[in-house]
Amino acid sequence: MLKIRLALAAVALLSGVTAAAQVVALHLENGAFKIVGWKVGPAEPPQGWPSVFRVYSGAGDVPPLLGTYSVEAGSLVFHPRFPLAPGVPYRAVFSPPGGKSIEAIFDGPRQETTPTTKVVHVYPSADVLPSNTLKLYLYFSAPMSRGEAWQRIHLLDDNGKPLQFEFVEIQQELWDARNTRLTVLFDPGRIKRGVLPEMQMGPPIVEGKHYTLVIDRQWKDARGVPLAEGFRKSFRGGPADRTPPNPETWRMIAPKAATAGDLIVEFPKPMDYALLQRMLGVSAGHGNVAGAVSVGREETQWRFTPREPWKAGAYQLTIDTALEDLCGNHIGQAFDLDKFQQITRSIESKTISMPFEVR
Amino acid sequence: MRRVKFLTVAFGLAAVLCLTAGLAFHSYAAGRSTPLVAAAADLTMGKAQLQSASRLAFGPDGILFVGDSAGASIVALDTNDRTAGSAAKMDVSGINAKIASLLGTSADQILINDVKVNPISKNAYLAVSRGRGPDAAAVIVRVDGKGQLSALSLDNVKHSSVSLVDVPTAASGNGGNARTQTITDIAFLNGNVLVAGLSNEEWSSALRSIPFPFSQAAKGATIQIWHASHGDFETQAPVRTFVPYMIQNQPYILAAYTCTPLVKIAVSDLKPGAQVKGTTIADLGAGNRPLDMVPYQKGGHNYILIANSSNGIQKLQADNLEAYKPITSPTVMDTGGVPFEKIGELKGVMHLARLDDSNALVLMGTNDSLDLKSIALP
Repeated sequence: MLKIRLALAAVALLSGVTAAAQVVALHLENGAFKIVGWKVGPAEPPQGWPSVFRVYSGAGDVPPLLGTYSVEAGSLVFHPRFPLAPGVPYRAVFSPPGGKSIEAIFDGPRQETTPTTKVVHVYPSADVLPSNTLKLYLYFSAPMSRGEAWQRIHLLDDNGKPLQFEFVEIQQELWDARNTRLTVLFDPGRIKRGVLPEMQMGPPIVEGKHYTLVIDRQWKDARGVPLAEGFRKSFRGGPADRTPPNPETWRMIAPKAATAGDLIVEFPKPMDYALLQRMLGVSAGHGNVAGAVSVGREETQWRFTPREPWKAGAYQLTIDTALEDLCGNHIGQAFDLDKFQQITRSIESKTISMPFEVR
Repeated sequence: MRRVKFLTVAFGLAAVLCLTAGLAFHSYAAGRSTPLVAAAADLTMGKAQLQSASRLAFGPDGILFVGDSAGASIVALDTNDRTAGSAAKMDVSGINAKIASLLGTSADQILINDVKVNPISKNAYLAVSRGRGPDAAAVIVRVDGKGQLSALSLDNVKHSSVSLVDVPTAASGNGGNARTQTITDIAFLNGNVLVAGLSNEEWSSALRSIPFPFSQAAKGATIQIWHASHGDFETQAPVRTFVPYMIQNQPYILAAYTCTPLVKIAVSDLKPGAQVKGTTIADLGAGNRPLDMVPYQKGGHNYILIANSSNGIQKLQADNLEAYKPITSPTVMDTGGVPFEKIGELKGVMHLARLDDSNALVLMGTNDSLDLKSIALP
């Protein structure tokens, strides 16, 4: 068997393999594999075109690539079902009826190798986190690869020793649609009071102790390239927070009329960064007010910049009661509900509102 | 240009669809045959939009339900795979490398998200991601009893889908919405597709029950699932994996929560808008996450085989589940729960599916090399 290795868009010349002594060449052109110099018969062979021409992307006992065949300008062409993948070698095998099989190896598109992707932020931003903190949000500068998060995220204690079973290692991984934000849940079984993991292991974070979140540089982005640098965030464990957020304790600073100044809402404790993006809004008599949201001061401040200048008059801050603090407590309801407190469970999230006046 | 042959194996393509409205079929859920009205006539031929394939469940007559987390939908596909088959031994080593070649990429770019067996043909169906980034392609790969691989055509297949997207609340802000709902498990039970999900933002629990055939007007009732500990505290509890199961001739689901307990929930409690509290019958251990559950019978007894993330394979004694007192305190866990034993010889199991009455199918191995093979139910 003849075997030739070629770069992308190269041509393999395989001489002397046709009855007519015509030069046969295997081409890779625009993502399709082509046999040139072999006269295609009037009909497809009884065993189908795959019996003549196959392409593989692995060695050993593997099936050929899915795709379709066509005859174009007298040449047999194989169109792979999926675009060729970067850095993958492809083995094209031509088995002319009655002749010897010949093969050529082509490289797929060039694999990028320059690390550019970084961790841009981890929320919560504060350096003291409640011992019953429920979530972390890891933000990346570019889309990431799925399937290796739990090998790449570590929480170290103050001796630098990795903690065990501190996160819910959800196989599917809780990414946003672009794979630029990963949600990491602390094991709720160790946060909720009175269940086995909490009784056996205690909470993952202990008040007064120091921790470091470590994200490995080896974590690959969606291009398959490792991060440009690793990431570390140190924090100290604070007291548990089992108090539902109460909008009555929030401070609102109203903007002035005829300006595009910010409406500012300040919270007495940090709130969930992701939920602040969409669970607070502004409305007036004519409906929702368009504008942009920003969150600052370690998630204790929410700012709303209107698209158009404010008009003097009455407005409302609208609040989805599903808005959570760092510990999964949401408005009107703690994360783990003490049944003896007789708090009414809300069946679904509701919207409440707080009025403010623009003068 | 002369297009000669469409190589992608198209189960639904050019096939004479034998389904007609009114054809009776049987539900495989809960081990009980329940006459239902066939729905394949409501499926339409064309291109199925599948952004991801997260979880799979078989319904009647070879209809495969695909939980699409990225697309926030459930897609019903007619596999057109209705020829009865006997469960053969299945042993496909290096299945990730084989799928990689089929899909024209490298093995490290293949993620196998779920494995299920068509109860009629006994062919295995794998929910596959080609690629690991946001643009990864969703592919349903079929493995027959001889270990031959093919891909279900999504370009021309009888299908229907239902969106899981809820109407945004009034206070939907202006800061953008990066919320996604990961489908953690699905099952078909008594004419409904049950869907468990987990949000990447708010802590909530929504088990959805969607009548099939799908109707856009009926996205299904959302049911809140709660979990109580020793009587004092309770939380909403996202369901991780669940399986229909009959207890005293009544349908239940056995559900494993994200926070470890195994609970039973009466299907009769799953009503629209209901708040349901599961009864804890076992705790499978801290730092562990159940992945798949397979109920079966052997020697006149009932068992449930459970694949776990870190505790290996567990075999739960499942006779008379009604007789066990609910676990209401972690301190009585050793004596109060349903007994189970660890099956030590099976390590590295990532997915577990029922193959037939005596065999299960497992996907196991390391990330470098995965094997799909049948095992005798212990």
